[in-house]
Amino acid sequence: MVEKKEIEHLADLVKVDLNEPEKYIKQVEQILNYFNKLDHVEFHSDDTLGIQIAKDDLRDDVNVPYQDSLIEHLKKDQNNFIRAPKMV
Amino acid sequence: MNLGISATEFVSQVKEGTISVEEFVAKTLERIDKVDKKIHAFITVDSQNALDKAKAIDKKIKSKEKTGVCFGMPISIKDNICTAGLKTTCASKMLENFVAPYDATVTSQLKSEDAIIIGKVNLDEFAMGSTTEFSSFGPTRNPWNTEYVPGGSSGGSGASVAALECLASLGSDTGGSVRSPASFCSVVGLKPTYGLISRYGLVSYANSIEQIGPVAKTVEDVAFLLNIISGHDPHDNTTAKNPKIDYVKDLATGISGKKIGIISQMTGDGVDKEVASATNTAISKLQDLGAQCVPISLDAVEHSIAAYYTIAAAEASSNLSRYDNLRYGFDFGTEGYEFKAFISKARSNFGPEVIRRMLLGAFVLSAGYYGKYYLKAQKVRTMIKAQLDEAFKKVDYLISPTMPVLPFKVGEKIDDPLKLYLTDINTVTANLSGIPAISVPFAMSSSGLPIGIQLFANSFKEKELLQVAHALQGTTTLPEITP
Amino acid sequence: MTKIGLEIHCQLTKLASKLFCSCKAEYRNAEPNSNICPVCAGIPGSLPLLNKKAVEKAAMISLALGCTIPEKIGFFRKNYFYPDLPKNFQITQYNAYGPTSIGSDGKIEIEGKTIRIRRIQLEEDPGRLVYEGTSEKTMITLVDYNRAGTPLVEIVTEPDFETPKQVRMFLNVLADLVENIGVSDPYLEGAMRVDGNISEGDGNRVEIKNVGSFRDVEKALHFEITRQQSLVERGIAVVAETRHWDDARRITVSSRSKEDEQDYRYLPEADIPIVLIGNRSIEQIKTQMPESIVAKRERYIKKYGMPTQVADVLSSDRFYSDLFDKSHNETNAKEVSNIITTDLMGLADTREKKLELKITPKHITDLADAIMANKLTRNSGKSALHEMVKTGKSLADVMSSLDLGHVSDASSIEKVIDEVFQEEEKAVAEAKQNPDTINYLVGKVMRKTKGKADPATTLEILRKKLAG
Repeated sequence: MVEKKEIEHLADLVKVDLNEPEKYIKQVEQILNYFNKLDHVEFHSDDTLGIQIAKDDLRDDVNVPYQDSLIEHLKKDQNNFIRAPKMV
Repeated sequence: MNLGISATEFVSQVKEGTISVEEFVAKTLERIDKVDKKIHAFITVDSQNALDKAKAIDKKIKSKEKTGVCFGMPISIKDNICTAGLKTTCASKMLENFVAPYDATVTSQLKSEDAIIIGKVNLDEFAMGSTTEFSSFGPTRNPWNTEYVPGGSSGGSGASVAALECLASLGSDTGGSVRSPASFCSVVGLKPTYGLISRYGLVSYANSIEQIGPVAKTVEDVAFLLNIISGHDPHDNTTAKNPKIDYVKDLATGISGKKIGIISQMTGDGVDKEVASATNTAISKLQDLGAQCVPISLDAVEHSIAAYYTIAAAEASSNLSRYDNLRYGFDFGTEGYEFKAFISKARSNFGPEVIRRMLLGAFVLSAGYYGKYYLKAQKVRTMIKAQLDEAFKKVDYLISPTMPVLPFKVGEKIDDPLKLYLTDINTVTANLSGIPAISVPFAMSSSGLPIGIQLFANSFKEKELLQVAHALQGTTTLPEITP
Repeated sequence: MTKIGLEIHCQLTKLASKLFCSCKAEYRNAEPNSNICPVCAGIPGSLPLLNKKAVEKAAMISLALGCTIPEKIGFFRKNYFYPDLPKNFQITQYNAYGPTSIGSDGKIEIEGKTIRIRRIQLEEDPGRLVYEGTSEKTMITLVDYNRAGTPLVEIVTEPDFETPKQVRMFLNVLADLVENIGVSDPYLEGAMRVDGNISEGDGNRVEIKNVGSFRDVEKALHFEITRQQSLVERGIAVVAETRHWDDARRITVSSRSKEDEQDYRYLPEADIPIVLIGNRSIEQIKTQMPESIVAKRERYIKKYGMPTQVADVLSSDRFYSDLFDKSHNETNAKEVSNIITTDLMGLADTREKKLELKITPKHITDLADAIMANKLTRNSGKSALHEMVKTGKSLADVMSSLDLGHVSDASSIEKVIDEVFQEEEKAVAEAKQNPDTINYLVGKVMRKTKGKADPATTLEILRKKLAG
């Protein structure tokens, strides 16, 4: 059973205000119940898929300044800082 | 002027001088003006720029300057692929005014081949959905019957091509998002092998499984676009370093002697009667062309929806974290807010489906649940890939209907997310395993709704996949859309 | 018994570019948000491109700390919301599922004590926050992303330390080690940051964060140990918590921030493929590793018979040991090590002075050879060195401009001695009675020749004259 408290905890983790948490409870629960199928699968391998790259094919350590002034495209103050709300 | 020509035909007519780019683009813009009020495929139409580009390309052709292979072909781009100077909204209020400062790799590849980006097309918010109803800017409608959904999430791509509002489109496919609208709108849509096309500039939803894919009227057009946008990109470490392939060449090779596996789990119970019968017809037509069709069982497919949505939700919850409205986003002053209150309020502008998936994603990644859900889902991927590898030892291709159902009405399934998720049963396998899959329009239902057939090949076998798709395309004649 | 474990964040300041993009790794002194691009600013659609050299350098640190390097490494996302994180997750490494971090299970000996290294991981530094406004109402956080994406190596030790002094020694060794490998300048502000965890006996573990400098680590640990011990004495249980070091008040303060209890929801970073390092690469990295400080010290002692203390000082400083290795040869090694460890290090007794030295190996070689060939007294040598490090001029130029050439011809010295004999009649008479006072006269000669007279020749002539 998914409870309102749990939905609100999840909402806090992903930082969204839920106007109507109740709306999500039933659907999230229904979907999670469906996901429980995964618990009954019998696996014969612990491997996971994932692509690989050889270390030597990684990016060379070279400084190439960004050709554009990125900050001009962002929300900024007159000193080119990004303004965030207070932290406490 | 016939806007119903294929992209390939457009190129030869422009080269022959029978049509001018400007004229074609102007007519296309007129068409958008006329039909898009009803269809709502476009979020942004870049009219003036498109006309300017068209004139410039006409001039280049006249003065015999070297012209890119697209010759001014009007193309629409899904609004989750970055286009410098043109809004990239992801159909989300969070990004309603966002203009990317750079071009996605596919965007610059198209531009450098003289394609004209005529506009940005609609999608489910951040590509999460399979009907395009979850766009914050309103749903896109199926050009064949506007009461019906066009599929999704690249519904704008499918609808804009089908409604003759452009010659081709780029979509993105995370769990079927290119193939579903291709099927529902009666156009061709390809989900390439993971790593064939650069994702640089594609706004991430589930980055371990999604790919950009072309949508067009014909298999030839899809091959043509693939030639332009495939290949290794130094901006994307997940692209493969394979030699360049010409997908257009030898497209009509035929399929004589090829073996095709019919996936039992995708053709049996739960498939709409008309869809099932169209699939059987497709199989027999392919046999007529010399292919041998045999049933193949992939039992891991049963777990594919649970695995797909677990992975997609988990990755979505992380990928969408960056939208906190501090660096970009809509106008919303920080004054008077504390950090968490501010971002939580800003982020409540996400639509309900996005929020639902973020909540699910947070749950499956939570301490204590990772092993139960996410890790298991990853193991399902391995299992599916292993079963596919086995299958491809026996057959060259796999076949299924793209969608197990016919297009349904707008609003019909919007309140039942799980029911909607289950309609992805035939498409998510390609994403989980990374293999390529294509949807080819094949039939019309008795009610006049499109049915698409899906073909799969093994990883990086797009050339062969396009050959069988081309063969299938040749076995059917479909109605043209009435203007 | 006190148990202390450390988490050290070390920036790879010597790299040219950031961990996942081509912006500069060195962000200091740049205008706010001028060293950013779509990747490190987390612009939608951008993708991280892992820096090859960062992987190699992190591997070197791992090897130097005796860690095992796996054949494959992977990256994970650590999800939490904070304004200094442009993506609201940090790309880091994680050792729970699948491919692991660059190093694990190492150890290092510090004065006979073994400190075990749990793991070493490569990750991105967040941006920098500046707080503006004083009253709570007007307080605003200003964010500068220039630092975001700077390559960091996190080194996590087991709780093997017993005293803050051991911690301090370990950190000094670690700082020398990363400097020696050439990956970091540990003395740059913010280049090396230390978090600690402390427990007394079977008591709860307390994390100490926000310690600004190396020196403060020792102080913060001392404070925390005293605090915990006094709690234990009074029979009060220590609470498991995170405490921040309050730099102004010199105490640790409980932080009630919920950040510390976050559920980070780690997941694999699919935009970075699993990196195959492979045994061949590891062997190759080993061959590129600079000589370790310990090996260097041994070599100095064995090959040149350097006193242990001199070898210690020289080997632990990459700058001076490089200078030594580039300027010495079979014959002058002792003289060169003397010049560096006594004269040069004396001249540059602070880090700033060291950075300003205009010294080249040739300066040192020439100087040592000149002293050994008797062309220059050790005293004049000091003056010459002083001038060379200030101006960068060659030894020959400095000697002529300062008139430092050695006077060794007997007639010139004799002339000076005659002058001294006239001026110092009393001292001459005394020296005739008591030969032990002869040094006074030698000193006078030296002063008159500005130290250029050859001491042996001077003494010889003096003795002859006094006897005659």
